[in-house]
Amino acid sequence: MLKNKLYIIGSKVLALLYFFGGLAILSGRALRWTFLAPLKRGRVLEQSRKAGVDSLPIVALISLFIGMIFTFQIAYLMQRLGSEMYIATIVALSLVRELGPVITALIVAGRVGAAITAEIGSMQVTEQIDALQTLSVSPVKYLVVPRLVALALMLPLLTLYADIIGIFGGYLICVYKLGISSTIYTKMTFDALLFKDIFTGLGKTIVFGMVIALVSCYEGFNVQGGSEGVGRATMKAVVTSFILIIATDCFFTALFYFIFP
Amino acid sequence: MIEIKKLHKSFGGRKVLDGIDLKIPEGRTLVIIGRSGCGKSVLLKHIIGLLKPDSGGVFVDGVDISRLKEEELERVRRSIEMVFQGGALFDSLTVGENVGFRYLEHGGMEKGALKEKVRESLALVGLYSIEEMMPSELSGGMKKRVAVARAICTGPRIILYDEPTTGLDPITASSINGLIRSLHDRLKVTSIVVTHDMKSAYSIADRIAMLYEGKIIAEGTPAEIQHSADPVVQQFINGLSIGPITDTSSVHSRSKIGGEHEG
Amino acid sequence: MRVEKSNLELKVGVFVAVGLLILVVFILLIGDFKTLSSGYRLNFTFHFINGVKIGAPVRFAGVDVGEVKNISLVTDGASTSVNVSVWVKKEVRIPADSRVWVNTLGLLGEKYVEIMPGTNSAAALEPDSVVKGNDPLAMHEVTETAGVLVNDIQDALNRIKRGEGTLGRLLFDDTLYREVDALVIDIRRNPWKLFWKTKEKSVRAPAER
Repeated sequence: MLKNKLYIIGSKVLALLYFFGGLAILSGRALRWTFLAPLKRGRVLEQSRKAGVDSLPIVALISLFIGMIFTFQIAYLMQRLGSEMYIATIVALSLVRELGPVITALIVAGRVGAAITAEIGSMQVTEQIDALQTLSVSPVKYLVVPRLVALALMLPLLTLYADIIGIFGGYLICVYKLGISSTIYTKMTFDALLFKDIFTGLGKTIVFGMVIALVSCYEGFNVQGGSEGVGRATMKAVVTSFILIIATDCFFTALFYFIFP
Repeated sequence: MIEIKKLHKSFGGRKVLDGIDLKIPEGRTLVIIGRSGCGKSVLLKHIIGLLKPDSGGVFVDGVDISRLKEEELERVRRSIEMVFQGGALFDSLTVGENVGFRYLEHGGMEKGALKEKVRESLALVGLYSIEEMMPSELSGGMKKRVAVARAICTGPRIILYDEPTTGLDPITASSINGLIRSLHDRLKVTSIVVTHDMKSAYSIADRIAMLYEGKIIAEGTPAEIQHSADPVVQQFINGLSIGPITDTSSVHSRSKIGGEHEG
Repeated sequence: MRVEKSNLELKVGVFVAVGLLILVVFILLIGDFKTLSSGYRLNFTFHFINGVKIGAPVRFAGVDVGEVKNISLVTDGASTSVNVSVWVKKEVRIPADSRVWVNTLGLLGEKYVEIMPGTNSAAALEPDSVVKGNDPLAMHEVTETAGVLVNDIQDALNRIKRGEGTLGRLLFDDTLYREVDALVIDIRRNPWKLFWKTKEKSVRAPAER
């Protein structure tokens, strides 16, 4: 009984180690290819469209709602304290520093990451990955690098959109519902923000983008057992991306807190 | 000349290849037969360096490709091409892009010449003006032909076929057999074909080897195999449901489990 | 795929361009590009600045006109002073007799430099001139002063409690009350006393009762 339990613990730990080991190797190779080999412009553009342009509507919609909801929730407290003026400050800071980056990353992980895993996974199942290798093309260079570059560049841009749209959502509520003047809202928002808020917020998302690309590709390459395996890998990729994004975010937030006090 | 020496490979503790020794002379066609999932595809993937053996080696013209680094392997792979079971065409690319893929990726040929080359390769497999179609628009037999066209496009010396006739109707299957035969005659390539289709094996093979439980249990000309005294070989080539392979009291079922790793 | 290629590039291009535009807008709106517009420097010396930070606003007659650019400690022999270098918009003319001190802004307690305009508008401060600032009260000084004040009040109250002084007597000594009470009773009984002067005896008698 105990032996069985120990066996289970051991295999879980090993699986985790294999995962991180595999992910680290893939990251190393992908980064090496990114900087050593010339990028294929067309492929990066294609992935950029999939990751960035096509994600914009959903990111815009969700960040607009988040901005509005968040404003209401903050207003509830601030009205009790009698400091409605600072709603704009709190909304802007939380959106730019935290909500914008993380929500965008989660949306992209769910939307783009899942698609990447499904695509690479089905290529794996139909031996297209093997075929690439027999044709002397590195799957990492051909498949991972364009996605890695596209996500690392597109996620910060998407986050910028999310930030501004979220702030606009807050603006709508404050100006048309809570009766705060438009000038005050705008002024308070941009007075509250500092350069470091924007750049730490955007800086994180570059890493989030890389995490999504690498995890999704890794899970895609490691699909086992037909289309059911592809489904399982897709789910795993999204869940793992979510966890890693939040963990990385926690790490960066703590780091920035101490570096840029 | 391909030489396989004492090749061992196991997946998760299950022995899939257990000491394979094989020799394929230049310009001949070897057909490897065996039950589905007995490790034939695994063997094929070792020959092109997609899998690394646990021990033993695969020598192509005297070079052990299982010990090569990725960059050196790429050079060797220029002379070896593989036709995958389902074709493994890249479904985001057109047929033309698939066939000329190696040149598109590595360069070395200008656009017009490449177009001509692709057209030529497709003509060799009996397909005309389908360059702009997508793989999803093709039938199974056409996909395999395109896959063959992709393999011969670069003029390799060795072509590996993984179950070229599986999943095709008999007429298409025999046309693929004819294609393999004629390519062999015309291009003088060394071919290794993995199949469990005996009709196909007889029609294209110079020699036949039977893989069973990770070992080569018989090797010879089609006639020799046909008259083999081994009951296992006899059961397989005649497709009998009763015999030593399906004898459940033995440990034979092990090979079936081991073969799950095969594509 | 081939056919859409130019379209694809356009889409990504627009996406990136608009994204960068948002970034620029952010930067322009946040950034202190005031420094790019012209202005002049002034130096204020304090002995204590109560935590004014670089970037803190400078207000002239309650209007934001600039910000603190640099803060440096100046040790001159035995005395230590702080030199606060501020940037002020060009068009703002500050009379030379203006008073300068550090003030606290609103709810969050942010410190800023307050300039109360003087009356001599003829003599404005020249760029780079040095002005002596009025030191704000340090918190511990405030506490000390308050402490002394509280002690005094405490002392006064104690003395009042002990019945010392006029106020103490009034509050804690009821002699006066009793006398007035007696007087009122006496007058009710003998209203004529209001009109006639009585002998000393008759007034004292009820009090002894």
